[in-house]
Amino acid sequence: MLQQLTNLSDKELISRARKLKDQEAEGVLMERYSHLMVAVCLPYLNNGPATTPEEVYPALLQRLSASLRTQTIPKANEWIHYTIRAQQAQTEKNSPFFPSTESREQQQMENKVEKAATNLKEQQLLAATMEGVLEKLPAEEKYFLKEFYLHAKSFAELAATKNYTIEKTRQILQQAKQKMASLLMNETYE
Amino acid sequence: MSNLENNEKILKIFSNIRCLNRDQLPRYLDGRLTDVEKHLVEQHLVDCNLCFDALQVLQQQQYREKYQPLATSMQQYIRNSIKRISQVHKVERYQRQEQKKESFLIYFWVVAAIAISAGVIYLVQQQGKLKSPVSKAIASNAELPAAKPENPPLQAAVVTPVRVEEAPALKTTPPTTTSPEAPVATPKLVERKDSLKTAVKPPAAPAVTKDSAKKLPPPPSKPVEAKETTRVAVVHKDTPAVVKRTEDKPAPVKKEKEKEDVPEKKATAEPSGTDEFLYKAAQVYHQQGDLNEAISRYKHLAESPGKYGELSRYQLAVCYRSKGQTGKARRMFKEVVRMNGSMKDKAQAALDNL
Repeated sequence: MLQQLTNLSDKELISRARKLKDQEAEGVLMERYSHLMVAVCLPYLNNGPATTPEEVYPALLQRLSASLRTQTIPKANEWIHYTIRAQQAQTEKNSPFFPSTESREQQQMENKVEKAATNLKEQQLLAATMEGVLEKLPAEEKYFLKEFYLHAKSFAELAATKNYTIEKTRQILQQAKQKMASLLMNETYE
Repeated sequence: MSNLENNEKILKIFSNIRCLNRDQLPRYLDGRLTDVEKHLVEQHLVDCNLCFDALQVLQQQQYREKYQPLATSMQQYIRNSIKRISQVHKVERYQRQEQKKESFLIYFWVVAAIAISAGVIYLVQQQGKLKSPVSKAIASNAELPAAKPENPPLQAAVVTPVRVEEAPALKTTPPTTTSPEAPVATPKLVERKDSLKTAVKPPAAPAVTKDSAKKLPPPPSKPVEAKETTRVAVVHKDTPAVVKRTEDKPAPVKKEKEKEDVPEKKATAEPSGTDEFLYKAAQVYHQQGDLNEAISRYKHLAESPGKYGELSRYQLAVCYRSKGQTGKARRMFKEVVRMNGSMKDKAQAALDNL
């Protein structure tokens, strides 16, 4: 059973855990992201009361498990990141997770690309629109996107060309991508 | 071609890539990924804050050392909790399956029992339909020897005729001595002779004419004699005359009887096959208490000549009597008495009792 569940996507596991109350699916989802949870929580361990790994990780898992049943989760990684940050902030008020507008637009674009994967004409149309939108972006963002995606340059290479840190390079790429997604979504609405 | 490649590359901007797995994470940090793999990871890192934060943390050596044991213990912790849950699930599933099996078995046996009982009922009904009255009679015929001791009077009725037939032949002579019964007996005998003559038509016809010729002359001669003698004497003479007649008659009667016995035997011998069978079948119905069926069968047999005709009339009378139809019973007994056969005495006794 576990073997079969590990082959399922995040979306399918979440839906099983929510609709069928399948705790095994929930466990598989947690296990899939456990190494990232461990890594992200490492700087906050043993920093104060109730911050031992034996307390932090089970509490985090319980918090995730509770929120899984009530919240809409379009992207598991964003949801886990949000929950970890909320736990680290030690906010008593358990504010629910809502994906940002940028994230939603980006996801819609991802879905469009996925949908067009089987249709060459649609792919061509979508690529033409994306190219048009790419030209509308600021020069730096356009350059970074083109270099990263079309010429397959790494973060380090891009950072070296502009003398930026890898973090900044990633940030510029992220912003450019989000802008592009919102422009594309606006074009489709028009 | 270059246009297509360009299109694919542009579309890559919004391609969905999974988070780094526990194998990719240290390899990326160590720079042990291929260029393609590394580019895919970096494409994902553009969007994923979780993976990027994890990489940022793990790039620090102090956390890198702690990471591996904690990651394995975390994984183990989750797996253990899943195992417990999965075991509980397995037990629940097994119990559900067992319950399903049990319920299925119960349904199966209930259906099987219903089917078997329905089959048995159907077979019994079919057997009942197939058993026609004739086959019943055959079956009962085979059972007759066993049934005989149960019903002794009927057995007597079947067996007695042979003895009774022999008895009247012996009894015919004594009536001459018994004066009161003699006059009664003689006319009956005459009647019976007549009936027997009618039964035995061609050979008895000349005998009847002879008898009638013999019988007719005496009456005119008797009044002549009576005129000559006193009335008392006439009375006294009449009786001896009657006696004489009776004395005279036994011889021809015997002769006739001897003559009649032969055809009678022939008659009884001829129908004995079917009549006996039909009589026994009717008796079976009589024994079973199905009086109406017995009566109809006896009626059918009563018209046939021979001892079975008489016997069936007698049984008919018995049936009527047991049904409470005394009028019909009396008539039948009278008929039997009139037939003057082997069942005459019994019929007379039954008539007296009625």
